[in-house]
Amino acid sequence: MEMVIADNLVKAFPAPDGGEKRAVNGLSFCVGKGQIYGLLGPNGAGKTTTLRLLSGLMKPTSGRAILAGRDVNQDPRAVKRVIGFLTANTGLYQRLSPRELLVYFGELQGLVRAKAAARAEYLIDWLDMADFADLRGGALSTGQKQRTNIGRALVGDPPILILDEPTLGLDVLSNRVILDFIVRERREGKTIVLCTHYLDEAESMCDVIGLLHHGRLVAEGTLDELRSFAGEQRLSNIFLKIVHADEPLLAGAS
Amino acid sequence: MNFGHRIWIVYVKELIDILRDRRTLIAMIVVPIVLYPLLMLGSIQAVSTQTREFKDEKILLAVQDEVARRQVFQWLRDDEQVIAELQRQARARGSDEWDEVAAEDPALFEVVIPDDVGLEGRFDLDEGVRLRRIRLGVEIEVRHVEDPLQRQYVVSSKYDPEEVRSASAYRRFRAVLDRRAEWTRGDRLGHLGIPVVVIEPIVVQPTEVTTPGSMLGQILPLILVLMTITGAIYPAIDLTAGERERGTLETLMVCPVPVLDLVVGKFLVVTTVAIMGAALNLASVSATVYFGGFESVVGAPGDAAFPWGALPLILVSLIPFAILMSALMIAVCSFARTFKEAQNYITPVILAVLIPGGIAALPTSRLEGVMTVMPVANMVLLTKELLLGGELGASVVVLVLFSTSLYALAAIAVATRVFGTESVVFADTASLRSTFSRRLMRPAGRPTLSMAVLVVALLFPIWFYVQSGLQSAGDFAVVLRRTGQVMPIVFILVPLGVCAYFKVNIVGAFALGGPQGRYLAAAALLGLTAWVPAHALSVAQQSIVPMPAVLEASEEIMQTALANTRPWLALLLLALVPAVCEEFLFRGFLLGGLATVLRKWPAIICAGCVFGAFHFYVFKFPVTAILGVVLGYLCWQSRSIWPAVVMHALHNGITVSLNVWPGLSDVLGIGGVDPAAFLPLHLLVPACLLFVAGLLLVRRAGSWSPEDQLVVT
Repeated sequence: MEMVIADNLVKAFPAPDGGEKRAVNGLSFCVGKGQIYGLLGPNGAGKTTTLRLLSGLMKPTSGRAILAGRDVNQDPRAVKRVIGFLTANTGLYQRLSPRELLVYFGELQGLVRAKAAARAEYLIDWLDMADFADLRGGALSTGQKQRTNIGRALVGDPPILILDEPTLGLDVLSNRVILDFIVRERREGKTIVLCTHYLDEAESMCDVIGLLHHGRLVAEGTLDELRSFAGEQRLSNIFLKIVHADEPLLAGAS
Repeated sequence: MNFGHRIWIVYVKELIDILRDRRTLIAMIVVPIVLYPLLMLGSIQAVSTQTREFKDEKILLAVQDEVARRQVFQWLRDDEQVIAELQRQARARGSDEWDEVAAEDPALFEVVIPDDVGLEGRFDLDEGVRLRRIRLGVEIEVRHVEDPLQRQYVVSSKYDPEEVRSASAYRRFRAVLDRRAEWTRGDRLGHLGIPVVVIEPIVVQPTEVTTPGSMLGQILPLILVLMTITGAIYPAIDLTAGERERGTLETLMVCPVPVLDLVVGKFLVVTTVAIMGAALNLASVSATVYFGGFESVVGAPGDAAFPWGALPLILVSLIPFAILMSALMIAVCSFARTFKEAQNYITPVILAVLIPGGIAALPTSRLEGVMTVMPVANMVLLTKELLLGGELGASVVVLVLFSTSLYALAAIAVATRVFGTESVVFADTASLRSTFSRRLMRPAGRPTLSMAVLVVALLFPIWFYVQSGLQSAGDFAVVLRRTGQVMPIVFILVPLGVCAYFKVNIVGAFALGGPQGRYLAAAALLGLTAWVPAHALSVAQQSIVPMPAVLEASEEIMQTALANTRPWLALLLLALVPAVCEEFLFRGFLLGGLATVLRKWPAIICAGCVFGAFHFYVFKFPVTAILGVVLGYLCWQSRSIWPAVVMHALHNGITVSLNVWPGLSDVLGIGGVDPAAFLPLHLLVPACLLFVAGLLLVRRAGSWSPEDQLVVT
């Protein structure tokens, strides 16, 4: 069953010259239930914009996205109910404790207060947050903040997780927390769309990898499929080869 | 989870968040409790010390020469005796008019000649006043020296009326001379054996009436306005731009909560903090005055005291202002992506608010005319009137409150439009300009709520100004013609332009589609009969609240004028043009915008009430609002404004016709019926039955479905 469908998504921004720049240009892909889909690409390829379109934070210029059967254009709120969204730089409220924060977002997800509180307790236990659950957000360490953020993304128990470079700029320990969480969520049957710059992470975790360049998908498949397609073993080499092939000018220069 | 509950969740969280912030607490509690009393005490003391010093100061008075100096010396020396003598004479008459003067400390004059102060020659007295070397220059000329009974002193005084000390010196010296003159007059008349009354045909006895707390009434509203703004600034920035800066806005926007709920929740927190701040400030000022014993200094002279009774009223009248300011701040800060940016945006807003606030604080400003709808100024004036205990008409108060709420709504509408838009949440992707860039807009089938509210809120004061302006033309025919020319521009062209810019489908926006014939029939039925129940309603209303005299007079003028106007012109300008224009704006544009968020009846009632308010008279409100609701219902059911236009035009047309053709009343059998009485039953009953039949005919079909609202054409 396809949990995430991107159908010919286009997102255009006004360019300084008065024209428009297409950050995402006719992007289509599907993610099946329980899969981790890795969106890879160089800076400016349109990865972040794609995830924002999927999560209803931005409206597509044309095309549509369907998550768990709900159309982002027609009912963005229904889509927001089935996704958990996490990036490396999503912030926390400085003056709320992780427990208060989880309850708040649980209520915003539509849970009644008692349910939200119970869900918060469950997540505090599960993510090992008991030590700092009542400290103010401003007093937490980076790792503690990350765990709180994971809790926030999971508080509505969404079937789909959208993760935008969740390990960017984290140390080894905090990194571990995130990676463990991703693996665990997949085991639970969640569908995950992950975009990352760390190719080794993608290599070890993703079921399907999509290579994004100039807002278009230039290659897609399992790691093995990509290997045979590009004739390279390591993902980084595959990546470079495909991107260069897509960019004649760059390929000539190298 | 419903609208109210979601707002409550956001409200509670944001309130906890903001109250835990030390900066808010400092701004809200410490500043008023410590700083304001200090400022007040300081400035009050400075003022009172200065006044006292200035009263005790010696008055430097220069005269032209030594002879004149001796004369002035004599007058000043004798002054005390003169007062005593005048007091004695007054008491003999049973009057106490000199008692107060006798009790006063005598002014201290130092009389000099120009040489003493480095001025030479008599003509330099002017110069001395101008250079402030002396307070007062005096030249004395004596006429009829030889005859004591006719001797006359001509005293020319040179002083600067704009300079407080010089003006006061003149007043005090003048008082000395006046007393001397009065005493001398009595003395001379006594010699001639003539009673004083012979030369005093008129005795003027002025009494200065000072309203209690009037001084406070002038300053306090402005101080409170400042306090309220101060309280709102920080939370407004923190809850909008602050979210963006800390990276929490993205997490909020990805929640399944409509932006409107978030904005309203945040706005209510800012309002709460602003009101709490204003209340604390008010309490702190009152405590300072009460415990510091400054009542006499702050209040007016005499036994007038601090207006304690007005305090709750001031606080209540401050609530709409706090609402307006909070909405404005939230709207402005929603554009900002950082704290710094928000502060930059807020500074000009505060200045813009202080200008009307300052105008309103002027002693000459009154709550009347255009001031009643001028944002901020009207609230300051309302507070002032409350403090001064002036009389306030219900219409005026309602107009102030309604216009203020409308402006606040418009600000909220802007905030909802801007808060959390892509270009604000993701500064990395697009400029703010792109939010309003027409090229990137998607065509829409209906105006959004924010668009509709904003346009109507802007049109409200504009229409008020236009109407006030037009009515000053005087001649009824001219007023009528001009109104007919301006109305389409205001009511149709403005919303049309906005829709065209935002790519809103015009047919959809104004519900211009053709209706089913049945609705036109119902509209005709309603239009022809509505005036009868409307008249009954108005009569019933008048039996409870009599019509204000102003309105009665203007109605009478209009009726007389109508009888002298060409009938077709009256019908065109009073029936057809308003019907088309008002239906375009209220049933097409506004109701369509409201329908995107509200359900059927709340939307219809809201649009009806706004329609009623646009008629500017509280007295007319019930009838016009109810007619507006009927028109809205007709439009909603038929999905077209044309039946409403038909009903509106017929309704107005009949009312006009009854005035233009007096014969029509006779045909209907109501000729000579008292306009303040119910219509005769032979008309009342059938007309009301037909009206209800019309409503039933309208009821029989479906209404706009949510699908209609999403159709993009």
